[in-house]
Amino acid sequence: MVYQTNLCFNPESPTVMHIDLNSCFATVEQQANPHLRGKPVAVVAYTSPGGCILAPSVEAKRLGVGVGMRVRDGKQICPGLIILPTDPWKYRSVHLSLRRILSDYTNNLTPKSIDEFVLNLKGYPSMSKGMMGIGKEIKERIRQEVGEWITVSVGISSNYFLAKLASSLHKPDGLDEISKNNYNNIYRRLNLSDLSGIKFRNTTRLNSVGIFSVLDFYNAPLWKLKAAFKSITGYYWYLRLRGWEIDDFESVRKSYGNSYALPKALITPEELSPILTKLVEKMGFRLRQAGYRAKGVHLGVSYRDWSFWHKGVSFPRALYDSREIYKKAFRLMYMSPYKKPVRELAVSTFGLLKSKNSQLELFYNVEKNENLVEACDEINERWGNYTLTPAKMFLSDKSYVPDRIAFGGVKELEEFTITK
Amino acid sequence: MFGIMIQKINVPVSVSLSYNSKKRRVFPKWVVWNGRFYPIIKVGLHHSYKKGRVLFHVFSVASKTLFFRLILNTETLHWKLEEISDGLPD
Repeated sequence: MVYQTNLCFNPESPTVMHIDLNSCFATVEQQANPHLRGKPVAVVAYTSPGGCILAPSVEAKRLGVGVGMRVRDGKQICPGLIILPTDPWKYRSVHLSLRRILSDYTNNLTPKSIDEFVLNLKGYPSMSKGMMGIGKEIKERIRQEVGEWITVSVGISSNYFLAKLASSLHKPDGLDEISKNNYNNIYRRLNLSDLSGIKFRNTTRLNSVGIFSVLDFYNAPLWKLKAAFKSITGYYWYLRLRGWEIDDFESVRKSYGNSYALPKALITPEELSPILTKLVEKMGFRLRQAGYRAKGVHLGVSYRDWSFWHKGVSFPRALYDSREIYKKAFRLMYMSPYKKPVRELAVSTFGLLKSKNSQLELFYNVEKNENLVEACDEINERWGNYTLTPAKMFLSDKSYVPDRIAFGGVKELEEFTITK
Repeated sequence: MFGIMIQKINVPVSVSLSYNSKKRRVFPKWVVWNGRFYPIIKVGLHHSYKKGRVLFHVFSVASKTLFFRLILNTETLHWKLEEISDGLPD
């Protein structure tokens, strides 16, 4: 690899736009219920005092309520805090509405998560309005077409990283650009930890080579960055901060998984079995709907004492039937050396194969079994999830493994289609 | 349990749905619940989801004092009131 060591800030006009829906889940709840607007609201995984706050509203954030806080702590800081459970379809619907609006400006649109989008407008006719003009228009269209309470922060720059940084400069409802003309002034105002990806450990690494500010980071020669990160990461930062693109790769799906945080402590595999069944049923259905088989099963168990055990196994034959996957996962559960109260159970399949035909076997009618699985899937698709389920699942509480939004990724959105 | 004053009810209700062809907007005009008539003054959000093959439309709407989550089952065309709240913490 050739390292360019004398690069200046990218001189091209910015064409990358990052759009971030402010306090996504809470804002959408306030849009849905006008009586909640202007009030501190927190959307939570569980409404019990130990439940985790997933999204505080702008008003709650101003009062000190943060993401990841327990409900009881949020209530202590802000006694008037309104606690709401998640409503995944509401958020998916707003995500899809935003996606529809944004796709009017470019085909080069990447949803980064349920509440983040990146657009590259290079070469598209919409560029004639100018990047700031498009940013203002998008904000207005979201207010008109999705809801007047929905605000987004828009960041514009010449690469994904700086566009995201620009979108974080003024929250909520910001519109900022980082370009060759103003990067110096913006970097001067920021701390190292304001950069996405630079937290405690990377700050320590940078401090060890005498870098204490974002401007130091920008001005550091490549050899210094290599010394700090001891890998090619140093060069990536060199390019990122100068506005050159390094993060425009698209991730591919490598696994399907489901997990569940247990509201009460269960210990033995027999006690955990109904929950494992439900997780596997949900995951297996998603796997098959996407046209995959899997050659490996992985089980992760987090315990209430915060310890963790996991194991993954690959098999010569690709798995298709949830019952087969369950048997493998259940066997894995027995391999755990611990018999402690479980906090969270996670199961996933990996080694995905996109194949319609499976290997035939001498003593087992594979085709007959797969026809049965497909027939069960069709019934569940027609009448709703879990219409047909293994009897074991009835031993579990009906509320176990509820619908959830995955954070940090939108792969799950491939699985949903909505016609409006 | 902490929470907003939300009441999950899931009962059949009478709803008047209006369609404006010029604005291409559909909106519930009023709801009758517990023998009381509530004019809808604001549609906060409209979204939909599927359960099996049945499509449900969800209207999150507000009267002057209350919030209603109204669900239209597009197979039966029947309405249900799934939730009400007053927007205050309990």
